Amino acid sequence: MNRLTAILAATTCLSGAAFADDERIIVGFATAETGFMQAYDKPAQDAAMIRIAEINDAGGLLGKQIEVVNADTKTDRAEGAKAGLSVIDQGADLVVVSCDYDFGAPAALAAESNGLISFFLCAESIKAGIQGVGPNSFSASVLGAVQGATMAEWAYNKKEARTFYRLLDTWTEYNKSICDGFDWMMPQLADAELVGQDTFLNEDASIAAQITRIKSLPEEPDAIMLCTMMPGAVSAIKQLRAAGINSMILNGSGVDGSYWLSAVPDLSNFFVPVQGSIYGDDPNPAVNEFNAKYTEVTGGAPATQYTYPGYVMIDVWAKAVERAGTTETSAVVAELEKMKGEPTLFGPRTFTSELHHQNQARYLIVETNNGTPGVVDEWTISSPIPVADLMK
Amino acid sequence: MGGIMQVVFDALSLGSLYALGALGIALIFGVMRLVNFAHGDVIAFSVFALLWPSVDAVAIIFAGNLPWFLLIPFTLAVGAGLSVLSEVVVFRRFRRANPATMMIASFALGFVIRYFLLMLFSSRPKSISLLPGLSQPVEILGARIPLLQLITILVTIGVLIGLTAFLRRTRFGLEMRAAAENFTMARMLGVRANRVIMGAFALSGALAAAIALILGSQTGTANIMMGASVMLMAFIATVIGGMGSLAGAVIAGFALGAIATVMQVILPPDARAFRDAFVYGAVILVLIFRPQGLLAARGTKERV
Repeated sequence: MNRLTAILAATTCLSGAAFADDERIIVGFATAETGFMQAYDKPAQDAAMIRIAEINDAGGLLGKQIEVVNADTKTDRAEGAKAGLSVIDQGADLVVVSCDYDFGAPAALAAESNGLISFFLCAESIKAGIQGVGPNSFSASVLGAVQGATMAEWAYNKKEARTFYRLLDTWTEYNKSICDGFDWMMPQLADAELVGQDTFLNEDASIAAQITRIKSLPEEPDAIMLCTMMPGAVSAIKQLRAAGINSMILNGSGVDGSYWLSAVPDLSNFFVPVQGSIYGDDPNPAVNEFNAKYTEVTGGAPATQYTYPGYVMIDVWAKAVERAGTTETSAVVAELEKMKGEPTLFGPRTFTSELHHQNQARYLIVETNNGTPGVVDEWTISSPIPVADLMK
Repeated sequence: MGGIMQVVFDALSLGSLYALGALGIALIFGVMRLVNFAHGDVIAFSVFALLWPSVDAVAIIFAGNLPWFLLIPFTLAVGAGLSVLSEVVVFRRFRRANPATMMIASFALGFVIRYFLLMLFSSRPKSISLLPGLSQPVEILGARIPLLQLITILVTIGVLIGLTAFLRRTRFGLEMRAAAENFTMARMLGVRANRVIMGAFALSGALAAAIALILGSQTGTANIMMGASVMLMAFIATVIGGMGSLAGAVIAGFALGAIATVMQVILPPDARAFRDAFVYGAVILVLIFRPQGLLAARGTKERV
């Protein structure tokens, strides 16, 4: 404990004076290099490294090369705080933290208390930002609620879905946020009807009882809003289809990827919102070029769309630094908060002094048909989800 | 009618899973008073044995490509093999230790197996299409259920009949029952302890592998934590069934499956998220009224 206090004292003293006229620009990654979060942090971090390399090749940021320092959170909240302090000690100007709010928050809080900007790699809870960390914290992804709202509005408008069924896995906040967005959108869709709802648990060995409830409806619903994530998602989808339910299945981005499709052969009528396509058919050719570059650098193509927020993160931060002419926190935060529909490779991004996250975003709609996923459409919800509704 | 049959099948198939798990735990508890918390990890290991080690997102299916008549014996052999190995390498050294020490050792073994899998396969859940022919609906008694659900129930009934015949009709089964009742006495009368215990571990491991096959084809997912929730329910089933009583474990397993399914059906939507709290509430009630379990095993009763 004494050592921790000493480190804290040392960093607090250093951070004010030493960094202001720093010669170097340093991005510190306090992310999981080991443990289960590694599988989620690594791809986004690799994408961030690609953007950093691009900036450095083009002459750097403010004429300086961006340097990178790392500390491993070991997928442990206590280690996360230490990892945050470690990269701050090494002079980080930007502290990048884990994909998930719970695992990233300790390092983000360390950055916040040292007056530094923190960015969650791909957290989708509203807490990953001002509301849960403080005024200098941001997330590079889009709120989970936007995904649920997007799918409901899109299916209503483009697929003429009128009867909806809501199936929620109560395991995580992320799952709940997808269904919250869906719930927010439903009353705005004239004559759309929620014909039933149910919950399950991600680890449930069987969702047979939930399926029986759907099957006992007088008519199969047009669409099932499935608010869940891996690994339980595959199980739920497989069981729904095995029971002969053929309704359109709407999802959050958490089930993107083709790596699990072998488990449900010939899956059809299945829709996922994504920020960019990993399937080589993104309407923006620059995204396909990025995929090729990612494959070249890491030896494998992106497995899910959660690779992309890492790239967006460095992109918007570097633009803000360039515009501010400094890496000083308050100036960069002010520039980030000026971004209104700032174009990025993966859709426009907006930050305000109220919300450091996206409450409206362009999503590509990926349909899986006969086991093959591909982009079929894109959709932006008609109005942003109010912050007050997100905080419920 | 169809609606009620549907619920009955749902309850039976979930109960089957818990009953198979409870049986695997009760078998080992019966012969050596060990609560084997590594059982859930044997389940996970048996599924991962079908994959080639890799940390990529896409699973490389290896033994999982075998035709079903080879796949099933292979998986059962993996489960039995790992279980016997854990007895030879770990539990044999704790033969004279008290049950609490053995329980801690089983926790430790479970961690070793889990982290071994983490090292080889990473934490990413892997997808695997096991016995895909079973993922189609069939119509029976007015209910439309996935074929796998039906097979799960039939396999469980088959296993129960087979095991009963084995325990009652064979010499090995007799020795095992004798050992479960009074281990010291059985040894004095010429029962070879190590052989009986290894047999119990092999059977228990094969049961774990059977669960692995059912879970694997039901969920299509291999996940290093996949055995944990079944293990927990199975353990609770062995406790309310009466520790060491095989019949009690099976009955309690089916009862738990039935309670969980019925709760999901009758609870109002807002309370469904807390379904497990109601299930565990029922467990507490059983233990208040029958602290020795539904069917207490004779060997575990204190003799005055």
